[in-house]
Amino acid sequence: MNIITKNLRLFWQGTVLSYVALFAWFRPVTYAASKILMPLAQIIFFTFLGSYASGGTDVDFYVIGNAIQITAVSGIFGVTMSIGGDRWAGTLPYLFGTPANRMMLFFGRAFMHIIDGAFGVVIALGWGALLFGVDFSHTDFSALGLTIIVTTTSTCGLGLLMGCLSLITANVMFVNNTVYFLLLIFSGANIAIDTLPNWMQAFSKALPLTRGIASARTLIAGGSFADVAPLLVSEIGIGIAYGILGYFLFTWFELHAKRKGTLETV
Amino acid sequence: MNTIEVKNLRRIYRATTGVIRRKVKEVEAVKDVSFDIKEGELFGLLGPNGAGKTTTVKVLATLLIPDAGEVRVKGLDIVKDANEVRKQIGFIFGGERGLYWRLSAIDNLRYFASLYHVDPEVSKKRIPELLELVGLKGRGDERVQGYSRGMKQRLHVARTLLHDPDILFLDEPTIGLDPVGAREFREVIRNLQSEKKTILLTTHYMFEADSLCERVAVIDKGEIVALDTPSALKKHVRDLSVVEIETFGIDPKVIDDIRKLPFVDALSTREQDHRQLLLVQTERGAEAVPDLIASLEGMRIGRVTVREPTLEDAYVRLVGGKA
Amino acid sequence: MKFKNLIVYWRTILRVAEITLRHQWNDSFILFAILVQPMLIAILALFMLRGSGENYAMFVVVGSGLTGLWSSLLFISGNSINGERWQGTLESLVAAPIPFEVIIFGKNLANVVQSLLSMSTSYLLAALLFGYTLQMSAPFLFTASVFLSIFAFISFGLIIAPLFIMYRGIQQWQNAMEFPVYILAGFLFPIALLPNWTTPVSYILPPYWAARALHETSTGEGDLQKILLAWGMMLIFSIVDLFISSKLFRKMLYKARVDATLETV
Ligand SMILES: Nc1ncnc2c1ncn2[C@@H]1O[C@H](COP(=O)(O)OP(=O)(O)OP(=O)(O)O)[C@@H](O)[C@H]1O
Ligand SMILES: [Mg+2]
Repeated sequence: MNIITKNLRLFWQGTVLSYVALFAWFRPVTYAASKILMPLAQIIFFTFLGSYASGGTDVDFYVIGNAIQITAVSGIFGVTMSIGGDRWAGTLPYLFGTPANRMMLFFGRAFMHIIDGAFGVVIALGWGALLFGVDFSHTDFSALGLTIIVTTTSTCGLGLLMGCLSLITANVMFVNNTVYFLLLIFSGANIAIDTLPNWMQAFSKALPLTRGIASARTLIAGGSFADVAPLLVSEIGIGIAYGILGYFLFTWFELHAKRKGTLETV
Repeated sequence: MNTIEVKNLRRIYRATTGVIRRKVKEVEAVKDVSFDIKEGELFGLLGPNGAGKTTTVKVLATLLIPDAGEVRVKGLDIVKDANEVRKQIGFIFGGERGLYWRLSAIDNLRYFASLYHVDPEVSKKRIPELLELVGLKGRGDERVQGYSRGMKQRLHVARTLLHDPDILFLDEPTIGLDPVGAREFREVIRNLQSEKKTILLTTHYMFEADSLCERVAVIDKGEIVALDTPSALKKHVRDLSVVEIETFGIDPKVIDDIRKLPFVDALSTREQDHRQLLLVQTERGAEAVPDLIASLEGMRIGRVTVREPTLEDAYVRLVGGKA
Repeated sequence: MKFKNLIVYWRTILRVAEITLRHQWNDSFILFAILVQPMLIAILALFMLRGSGENYAMFVVVGSGLTGLWSSLLFISGNSINGERWQGTLESLVAAPIPFEVIIFGKNLANVVQSLLSMSTSYLLAALLFGYTLQMSAPFLFTASVFLSIFAFISFGLIIAPLFIMYRGIQQWQNAMEFPVYILAGFLFPIALLPNWTTPVSYILPPYWAARALHETSTGEGDLQKILLAWGMMLIFSIVDLFISSKLFRKMLYKARVDATLETV
């Protein structure tokens, strides 16, 4: 078997395994609840809050922003669980004992969540059309689809970094939840970025999701692919940067843990 | 009236298996168990793994509802009068769990004291006394997290004595303790016995039952197979001797062959590193040795000794020589 | 649970609450639920409602505090029985000669009081970071409302905890139950914005009446009659909840002793 198929297989196994593990404690009903109802509730909450604040204008702004933000459920929570899960299950020492390609092992864990996250966004946008009458008649759907994939991928990049943090700190849920809510504030999903203080704007621009949300808003309002292409390029660039950072942290963690014998403990 | 009365107790566990096609599997953990414990008696419950000891104790401790039978503690029904029963009893299930690890020992004790309505004035005095009794004096302020296994088990003893119960259920309290720790633990149990507490003790260690218990019930596969004083139980095997043969890498088939020999009453083995100790119970005593050696022909044999039977041998015979 | 019990067991309740607080204090997820999450929601809402003027600052402070209250009740109190089971302490608690709901009452008390802290942090945040001057319009009525709300939330939590244990199917919806209550209880925007058919659902949620009492006494928008209505509803719900919960607890514990699930799931 040549090296490419070997690594592809590894990648695929990591993908499937991380998903199976997720389902082991997430029953189908819970999954449906988290995939369909949770996004709905979140969109409704922030859209009402937003239109209450703005006096009923700009419903689309909140619906689209929060629908894209849903990708962070898979991108942040899902990915960190896949990576952190090994620590809880105590399988980390076995994993680090294998000769498997670490890169494939690592990124394989994010792949399924990209698809999952994109699926969640589509459902969320569907809710937006159904309940809040978001108008998609001027939308370039292929460009919107690309935006969703790009944004989901870049959010997963941040998730990979967070997942590695979860290997180092014992408090995964704390890290996850904080990041998720920070994204709610900084991604522009609920607050127009240009109304934020300067230092907050700078922070926003360093995050994934920000440009993805802007791009989705432009496209749904009738913008063309050319309008959003630069946004998407930066978006994916940011995501890859986080992913690579995460990968280095992952290999560092392995080295460090082996040196110090802290694979099982913190 | 006996302090504890168990009549025809039966308890089944139902476990569902399979994700898609659900099957209900039933385990009859306790089939038909009856015994009484007198006031102030230290009563032992012995049996192999899975015999139903813990299940019996949990029913007594009001943590499981029996499927059939009648169980009374001081005349109170453990289902109908559960709350009254709870005021009278204390229990320990061997092991480390069941404490708040992020709290200190004293906090753990204060907490449980308030759950048992121990007056704060009283518990202020009793907690240090109990810590001293179980040998944790001076360490009560430390978090339980940092305790050794034995320390946690001692803390459990202190926990269960907070409300000064008359009746104690101790399920394998010395499990996992080192020999010194276990010996100190038995000292604690003897002290409790001298305070006239009624105690039900389960254990795997025969010498423990032999040295502590006034009466012992041997339970196997959910049924009581013998119930008597340790010395009377030993009479079951009075006419027998035990031949101990040290072997190295013995074939299980040979063991079965020996078990079938007409003069062998029971046989058990014990693994020790790379050696196996064969324990053969026989009426013929030393006379059986040549025949036994003959059937082990061609195998490496170490020390061979003949001795008087112990409670453990009686137990082995009662539970079918598989211990 | 009979009211008598609450009085007889007050000492136990306080001790349980004290121990629970100390035990949880270094669990960072709990810290998140009670402090960080409501604070972030407060920041978010303060930014979003910035254009609406100073009056809203008080509304946001109280409302985001309420989100913290509900989340901690849903997640921390809702999981507390399972937590005890994993630690192996559930058996000892059940075997104590005290109604189990008294213990859970104490645990809920700790969580709810803890969450009120988040309201104070939001208050400071609004005052310091955003520079709002926050005026409590009826401090005494507000304080009374806080006490009643605590009671109402605790009692509501006493229904959630056994339901989650008895019907795992319900607990699967736990995550999906967080935001809907934010919405239906009118924590951060009035329920008048919602479609009419949701109003009856709001009315049967104790958090809705708590939100009304707290909002009306803090912003000064309600008259005494409205406030008394909210108080009355909270009291009625608390009593009904306590009554139902005692039945649920009895059923739950009996079932657990039949199914042998006190120690394992
Ligand atoms: N919660 C449970 N669900 C299903 N089966 C159980 C459960 N608890 C115990 N059993 C089964 O019931 C039987 C008796 O178990 P029990 O724990 O009473 O034995 P024991 O005598 O205490 O054993 P040990 O010496 O190993 O502690 C065993 O077959 C066990 O597998
Ligand atoms: Mg046992």
